[in-house]
Amino acid sequence: MASNGLQPLEIEVEVNVASRGFPGFNIVGLPTKAVEEAKERVRTALVNSGVEFPQKKITVNLAPADIPKEGSAYDLPMAVGILVAAGEMPLPDKKKYFYGEVGLDGRLRHTRGVFLLASLAKEKRVTKVFVPKLAANEASVVEGIKVYPVNSLVELVRHFNQDKLIKPLKNLDRHELIEAADVEFDFSEVAGQEQAKRALEIAAAGGHNVFMVGPPGSGKTMLSRALPGILPELTEGEALEVTKIYSVTGNIEPGGGLVRRRPFRSPHHTTSRMGLIGGGSKPMPGEISLAHRGVLFLDEFAEYPRSTLEALRQPLEDGVISVVRVAGQMQFPAKFMLVAAANPCPCGFLNHPKRACVCLPGQILRYQKRLSGPILDRIDIHINVPFVEVEKLRQDSAATAGNDSSELIRARVKAARKIQEKRFSGEAVPAGRQGIFANGEMKNKQIKKYCQLSADAERLLQQAADKWQLSARSYFRLIKVARTIADLAGQTKIEYAHIAEALQYKVKV
Amino acid sequence: MKPWRQWQIEEINNKDKLFPKRLAKIKAAPEKLYYRGNWDSKIFTKAIAVVGSRSMTKYGEMAVAKLIPGLVRAGYTIVSGFMYGIDTAAHKACLAEGGKTVAILGGGLNQLTPVQNDKLYSEVLDQSGLVISEYEPEEKAQLWTFPHRNRIVAGLSQAVLVIEAGEGSGSLITAKLGFDQKKSVLAVPGSITTSLSAGTNWLIRNGAILVTKAEEILEELGEEVTVKAKQLPLNLTEIERAIMDQLSKESLSADELVRMIKLDVVRVGQALSDLALKGLIEEAGDKYILGFKNAD
Repeated sequence: MASNGLQPLEIEVEVNVASRGFPGFNIVGLPTKAVEEAKERVRTALVNSGVEFPQKKITVNLAPADIPKEGSAYDLPMAVGILVAAGEMPLPDKKKYFYGEVGLDGRLRHTRGVFLLASLAKEKRVTKVFVPKLAANEASVVEGIKVYPVNSLVELVRHFNQDKLIKPLKNLDRHELIEAADVEFDFSEVAGQEQAKRALEIAAAGGHNVFMVGPPGSGKTMLSRALPGILPELTEGEALEVTKIYSVTGNIEPGGGLVRRRPFRSPHHTTSRMGLIGGGSKPMPGEISLAHRGVLFLDEFAEYPRSTLEALRQPLEDGVISVVRVAGQMQFPAKFMLVAAANPCPCGFLNHPKRACVCLPGQILRYQKRLSGPILDRIDIHINVPFVEVEKLRQDSAATAGNDSSELIRARVKAARKIQEKRFSGEAVPAGRQGIFANGEMKNKQIKKYCQLSADAERLLQQAADKWQLSARSYFRLIKVARTIADLAGQTKIEYAHIAEALQYKVKV
Repeated sequence: MKPWRQWQIEEINNKDKLFPKRLAKIKAAPEKLYYRGNWDSKIFTKAIAVVGSRSMTKYGEMAVAKLIPGLVRAGYTIVSGFMYGIDTAAHKACLAEGGKTVAILGGGLNQLTPVQNDKLYSEVLDQSGLVISEYEPEEKAQLWTFPHRNRIVAGLSQAVLVIEAGEGSGSLITAKLGFDQKKSVLAVPGSITTSLSAGTNWLIRNGAILVTKAEEILEELGEEVTVKAKQLPLNLTEIERAIMDQLSKESLSADELVRMIKLDVVRVGQALSDLALKGLIEEAGDKYILGFKNAD
């Protein structure tokens, strides 16, 4: 199998061992370096497995021949072809998939893309797939196929000779897997930061993007790491989408199967634009696609180059990223919650209770200007994450003992999400796009339709707009956040209190 | 509004009749001054210098907002140094109140420092104020020129008001020059834990007059002051009152308030938004402080 982005393509490996001709080993069909080197791997692996390597002219064709092939997954089918030709094993009767890299000792290594292979098998009605044992769990989440985990070439030969059969893997129960996933970080472990926690609950409930400002060490990273745990569990469909991306990029650990937790990605600010949004001469998903259905955390937001952040705009709006390269155009899903974090000033200690800020006023001004780009316009919730004095917190430990656990918060989030799903179920879905599921995705038209304000809420909002000179955009953002707050409270109309709370999360810098 | 570059640079000699007498008397008085604007010596009859830290805090900003309008209304010209921080805030507060303000630059008149004050430069001139420098128009500001021009800031004024100053800051030099020139030095007190109030508190300890209201400053300058009627108490909910109580003691973040009042973050957040809208509290960085409206 080859893949074009996330699109799998069946590749047939033809092996011919000619009875005449000078002994040799040739691979045709646009192999790249890794495929070319398969010769040596396969030859040595076979010899080390106790097979006499045929001293004949061997030609391997990878069909269709005009598509470039890369990766080490063609090792296994080549080896199987030679084994059959050498008379070590019978020709398998029905069509089967073989996939995986072999080691010099004849054992199979973990290979990426196994999940994609399994879904291709299902699509092409191929019922049996042979993959390296270390990656076999990935395939076993696909229903309707038999997955044979192979340890080594010797094992495979014995299997086909009916000597010792390999037991196929049981299909994993996806639903159970997802349910059983535990939370990485629990909100109840976060001391203090009451307002930030509440803001993240609202963000999770309404699918709003979040911007956090606070000095180093105040807990911005910890808070955002805890965020995936209060988002609703992945649905089966979502889990498969995520697993596919992770399988293709080789991000599933050996032995791992389905991705069960919502992803949390925190790329460093030196990550290139391609690394972030995806690309390459043969396009691969970037960090934003790896954060699909999860959280993309951009720490030191001000340090990212402008061009990188600009590139985030389209996926933030559409939930997919289109990458166009010579090799073709590709779409990768990229529906994520953006959590951006930044220091309040270049040195980080502005407003810090213990340490003095050493920045010049001009520096701070320039820094804040850099932050207020067009991306911040797409972020609904802005919060301060102030420095927490551990001593003080310890005194109030009684207060933190009553912290809500992530599970409890998640239950509230799910209830609010249910209301939203119902609200947007009647919305027309534009062709080629995904529908709306959460308040954070509302456009002005929908805001006007679904966000009725009570009379005094309206008045309060007007007052606030006058006092803080809110732009039209921030005005609508406030309403969106208030809508989610009202949903969390289970109310149909946006009341005074909801707007008042939403005002706490307006732009800070 | 006419951009400042279109204003002619003019000179005035200290032998000139229009040269401010007050300035001519000081030690090392400048021999001549360059200026932009319409020179009217009446502008210096009632003048007060307002100086302070370049890295102004919210407290300093509020002090400016609270003190300057009263002075301007009483007909005082605000003299300051045109740097960022308190200087800029003082010039702006004066202009906003419709007053006249005099800016003494640390460099030549064609050297705009800081660049952010481009518009302010024009506005000062537009409202019949003056921008003055003792340096050649193209001369760049140096580290030493800033403290040097402070003697003019103090020299043009009847009194020096220091709003926020760190220890050993340039504002203290102006204050010291004020003492030397036998002028009243007034200082706004601050918290003993804030580094930017260390200078003003030190001044008070060493003979500056503590001021907290515009009336007190006017009194010090020998004006008759009429006492305003006290504000009526506002209708506040229980949470709001609790928040105001806590904030009247110290500045606190929303999280700290939640812990102190022992109420959930949702209700505290709502109350904070309400109070901020009423102008009773202000956001200062990640903390809240009492708004200056209710500080009297």
